[in-house]
Amino acid sequence: MRTDDLIRALAADTMPERPVAGAMLWVLVPALGGALLLLWLILGFRSDLLQAVSNPVALTRWVLAGALAVVSMRLALALARPEGGAQARLWPLAGVALLALGLLGWAYVTTPPGGRQMAMVGKTMWTCLLTIPLLSVLPVGGMLWALRRGATTVPARAGAVVGLAGSAAAAAVYALHCTEDSPLFYVTWYGVAILGVTLVSAAIGARVLRW
Amino acid sequence: MAEQTDDWGQLLAAANAGDARAYARFLGIVAPVLRGIVRARGAGLGEAACEDVLQEVLLAIHLKRHTWDADAPVRPWLFAIARYKVVDAFRARGRRIDLPIEDFVEVLAAEPERDPTEVADMAKMIGMLDGRSGTIVRKIGLEGATMAETGQALRMSEGAVRVALHRALKTLAVLRERHVE
Repeated sequence: MRTDDLIRALAADTMPERPVAGAMLWVLVPALGGALLLLWLILGFRSDLLQAVSNPVALTRWVLAGALAVVSMRLALALARPEGGAQARLWPLAGVALLALGLLGWAYVTTPPGGRQMAMVGKTMWTCLLTIPLLSVLPVGGMLWALRRGATTVPARAGAVVGLAGSAAAAAVYALHCTEDSPLFYVTWYGVAILGVTLVSAAIGARVLRW
Repeated sequence: MAEQTDDWGQLLAAANAGDARAYARFLGIVAPVLRGIVRARGAGLGEAACEDVLQEVLLAIHLKRHTWDADAPVRPWLFAIARYKVVDAFRARGRRIDLPIEDFVEVLAAEPERDPTEVADMAKMIGMLDGRSGTIVRKIGLEGATMAETGQALRMSEGAVRVALHRALKTLAVLRERHVE
């Protein structure tokens, strides 16, 4: 087939494709709903949720997780464009990470030395480390699917960013159950869970986001 | 130069809004430029293989055209796709190449080259489509039939031809990916 013939066939196909951002939104709403439902079914919400929301230190984890989710999602949309690989900037992510580490440092200093280890290890480390990845499956899987409509030229990086976005959202959902309000606990273990999901998602992205 | 850029953007914007003629012009203008890039990079491969790679790039541009943001310049978008696909295509043909983005700017100034050859890869892929899809792509591409004519010949509605062509082109990209690797 000559190239001019191919061009004729391509030009005849004027069916529009749904843009990535629309697909992302379309998949994210049910995915987050599913994660909420899953949490409610297997663990339930914490009984003192209303008090927790009015406690600034406890509230901060929703703020941090939410900020991480929003920043990563915007980055994922930027990376979905072919030129995004060269143009998208990663520093807003570093900003959120610095805030989290700052909070960790502040909590370390203000927690009495005797109580630090207890606050950090907590009672629910394993629940946290297992539940956040579990709740990430729907949002991360959904966003990877949506991103396949895009044209990322950096599949592994795009996969990582999607993993960050989805697991940060999952962490915010998990926080509705978790009663460990010390940043020593939640920055550490939510952080570990989020990083784990991010690594796995990067590996998956490197395979499924190629085109 | 600036005027030309606007032109590409206007054509692609019209194309994405459903204007098939603007789209044909857009592809007709960028194809020679991309051909120059592919040839400059893959000189050792021979003209036919380069033309195969070019067709792969054009198909990718087609299937990803909705990722262009009409407020962004066209060239960085276009060249990012071309670069990704060219590197990929050469890798699949056993050649590693390094393609700095600056090269695109250089080659742009070069003389556009004409479509030389009938090439085999795409025809082979079209042969792997199911009978009706293959016929639709051939009728519209090789014979220059319109949607309506194709529909009449195959006893399908025009809308059904439209959908079938769209699906067929997507399948072609998947087939190429599998076949070349």
